[in-house]
Amino acid sequence: MAFYRPAIICICAVGILMAAGCAQKRQLPIYGSHTFNGKDTVYHTIAPFQFTDQDGAAVTNATFKDKIYVTDFFFTSCRTICPIMKTQMLRVYEATKNMPDVLILSHTIDPEYDTVALLHDYANRLGVESARWHFVTGVRDSIYKIAQTSYFTAALQDKTEPDGFIHSGAFMLIDKKSRIRGKYDGTKKEDVNRLIGDIKILRQE
Amino acid sequence: MLYEKHCSNCHQQDGQGLRRLYPPLAKSDFLKNNFNPFICTMKYGTSGSIVVNGVEFNKLMPGVPSLTELELAELATYITNSWGEQGGIVTIEQVSQALSGCAPQ
Repeated sequence: MAFYRPAIICICAVGILMAAGCAQKRQLPIYGSHTFNGKDTVYHTIAPFQFTDQDGAAVTNATFKDKIYVTDFFFTSCRTICPIMKTQMLRVYEATKNMPDVLILSHTIDPEYDTVALLHDYANRLGVESARWHFVTGVRDSIYKIAQTSYFTAALQDKTEPDGFIHSGAFMLIDKKSRIRGKYDGTKKEDVNRLIGDIKILRQE
Repeated sequence: MLYEKHCSNCHQQDGQGLRRLYPPLAKSDFLKNNFNPFICTMKYGTSGSIVVNGVEFNKLMPGVPSLTELELAELATYITNSWGEQGGIVTIEQVSQALSGCAPQ
């Protein structure tokens, strides 16, 4: 039997090396249309925006310059999926607290009700820092438009729905170049675990 | 299950609530001391400031007007007998009596 042992060790070593190699090379996909301008591939990026956060401060693309961020759409009076999303987003917040290059952006889809003052109270009760987690309000149509055309997620008013809105429970992962790199179900713990893992992969790019 | 359908999104499966946003139901002094408002709130909702276990909460809670007296009794029994508590069975009569003191708002 001693004759086979080096061979087995060798196979194992190769296996470990391959696994390690794969883990290092794992890349997140880049979502959206790709075009080629003759020189480089041009990827879908988040359009320019300007919203107002819980401190009354302007939040724009510049806020997320050289930052990775996780974003979602919700409203404070929602009692269906939003509280679950916020419970899960708090896990993202806690998991990234030592990562200064990772931020969170939550858009209200009910800006008439969710004023700056209300969002301030909401964030305060959630016990989160506004520098790391921006809750933003703004012009309703601008919020709905950016949801659909930039983040490829759903946000609409619909009086027939229990709370008056149709919206997705998705969390989107945006990279430092404003590109979508992941989409996760913000109501599922396992999917949010995957998001937290993907943030670590993205930070190594 | 009624609790999962109507309550746990905010108050959580373990009844602990969420930070200072949604109050805990587990071992809540407020529920123990305010039986009638507890029943009325499930059906008709509530707003304004309350203090639960020494912490202030102030957020609108929408009620579920479609809940029947039997369902309210089941929910109240579940909430007061879960998470290590033994509050005993809440009867339909108790619910009925509590509801007589509150009108649809």
